[in-house]
Amino acid sequence: MTRRPILIRGCGDYYAPISETPPELGPLVKETLGAQVRRVGRFVQLALIGAARSFGGQPARPDTSVYLTSGRGDMETMAEVMIQLYRDGMPPRPLSFINTVSNSACFYVAKQFGLRGRSSFVCNRYFSFESALQLATLDIEMGVSSSALVGSVDIVLAPLAVHRRRIALASETPVAEAAHWLRLEAGEAGESGPRLTSIETLADRTALLAWLEAQAGDPSSAALAIGQFGDERDIREIAANAGVTANFEYRKDRAYYDSQSGAAISAFLMQSAQASTLLHVNQSAEGRYAAFAVTR
Amino acid sequence: MIETCFVGSGIRSALGAGMAASVEALRRPPAPPALLCVPLGAGKEDVPCLGPDGAVDGDPEERLYRLIEGAAREAITEAGLSQDDLQTTALLLGTSSLDIAITEAAYARDIADQKAHGGEAHPLMSNSSMGELGRSLARRLGVGGGDFTINTACTASANALSYGDALVRTGRASHALILGTETFNHTTALGFKSLDLLTPIGMRPFDKDRRGIVLGEACAALVVGPRKRGTNSFRLRGSANLCDTHGISAANPDGSTVAAVIRDALAAAGIGPGHVLAIKSHGTASLLNDEAEAAGLKHIFAAGLPLVCALKPFIGHTFGACGLAELVMLCACIRSGFIPGTPGISPAPGDLGIGLTQGPTPVGPGAFLLNYFGFGGNNTALVVTND
Repeated sequence: MTRRPILIRGCGDYYAPISETPPELGPLVKETLGAQVRRVGRFVQLALIGAARSFGGQPARPDTSVYLTSGRGDMETMAEVMIQLYRDGMPPRPLSFINTVSNSACFYVAKQFGLRGRSSFVCNRYFSFESALQLATLDIEMGVSSSALVGSVDIVLAPLAVHRRRIALASETPVAEAAHWLRLEAGEAGESGPRLTSIETLADRTALLAWLEAQAGDPSSAALAIGQFGDERDIREIAANAGVTANFEYRKDRAYYDSQSGAAISAFLMQSAQASTLLHVNQSAEGRYAAFAVTR
Repeated sequence: MIETCFVGSGIRSALGAGMAASVEALRRPPAPPALLCVPLGAGKEDVPCLGPDGAVDGDPEERLYRLIEGAAREAITEAGLSQDDLQTTALLLGTSSLDIAITEAAYARDIADQKAHGGEAHPLMSNSSMGELGRSLARRLGVGGGDFTINTACTASANALSYGDALVRTGRASHALILGTETFNHTTALGFKSLDLLTPIGMRPFDKDRRGIVLGEACAALVVGPRKRGTNSFRLRGSANLCDTHGISAANPDGSTVAAVIRDALAAAGIGPGHVLAIKSHGTASLLNDEAEAAGLKHIFAAGLPLVCALKPFIGHTFGACGLAELVMLCACIRSGFIPGTPGISPAPGDLGIGLTQGPTPVGPGAFLLNYFGFGGNNTALVVTND
């Protein structure tokens, strides 16, 4: 089977550090989509804003599949339902209960943009964005879909002190809300444009070194980016062994949210740097790696 | 591409522990549901439920891991996977409610502490990470080939199977351990109560007297591995998953979106409707979903329906686990030569035009269709074969 190139057709981002109360998103949803979307919470609102930005006003292919991930999911809706149940002694409101289902956000995105392909909500403790990207790529490779919208959404639930405790952050750690979306399409051989050339999870250092050597091509034209859970010293050492010494830094000064890997690709493509290939490596507490490669 | 097949399975459900117990129970009529008392404020709500041992008291964490690990180890043992094999095996967890029962219990404790001693109680303070359950299971089971948690409501573990199968087919994992899990929790129980979708009379899919669902608990496991030549183990021959944007809580009642996903699954399997020996319906016994599924089936099988069965009357609606639980039960029954039946439930095609098998019905090897539809417009169809 000949593998078709996976072209990156668009990126859409939302990133907002939160210092007190998260801002109302309704006006931005209306501005971005051209209409209000009623009866949805901020998790869905962020999903819609990011997805709309990735389309950039272009029409969506109806056969597009949606792959969404999140570190913590729709905490706002889940917390509302649990407070109703346990503090107030009331059953959940029907729509709130339905919206506790994670893939509800996929539904709203698909409905908003007229998408009728596959719909998946996927998560992983350390590799949330990478896991969504990997399943999207798998579907394209298997011929299940040829157009994919891959995104991550992470929200903040006030008060901030409780939010930080909830996600086990130190008391002064800056936190942010974010949504990152990529539009991918199976291209034709020889078609030009930025592309995702590889996405893999790797068992150990040996596997990572082999992957870096295979992906780097000319190592002088590749730049290494390290994901938020990666051990910088460990990964830089392995990359250096593969001849990759240039770094691409996209997380500097970025406040904490769970799916920061989602920001790497658009940051790389928007930067007019010398490197033509991005090699992004993240790492789990168990020492596994998730790595993806993008060329301009 | 590597050819794959199912090499081991396990289950814990209202029918007992293990595949053998399930097959024996599926030869008999379904048992009626129990009524559980769920505390709500100062009162209690009765909730119809079918669970592995009737009782859902006790430590939800111990219960969750006991049920999942029991099913997983049964599947791993049947598959004959060594510790080395497990290191290159991927874990795919399909679930709707994850480990929310543990989070609920922690919040309830915090509220009780707050009332007794003051202080603050906030929800979701215990394990808010959606990927932690999958990570924890991989660690406990010694699975080292990566983990994915698929969270697509009632299609979750069916979708997990299609991804796990693809990971093995493309050589990204030597095997895939697919897990489907749903254990009792207050959010799901009282959420469905709010939707007025629960019935104490038992589930009667496609029947004129259908009234809705019974909560079910199940943990199911399936190992997918390379297919050995000359064997006729079950395998996933084709699958499809499509988003139905008609409504967030029910498929389009005209059946068009249900028909579309079945059509795609049959095409992926490379077979036509006439090759399907039997259909495992989703069969939630709710008014709208049964209407949509019936319309979709009649559209695709216009020349005549094969055998149609429903398994939820036996184990309740196990939500994120139903994809895998109903698959492994169906495959085990077919290997024993029969399709389960539900006496007295849709004995003949009624208003919806669907009649269900009424008792154990002989069947040979061939192709079988399994339907799943979930909240969020998530529609999935699987085609499995053993010929």
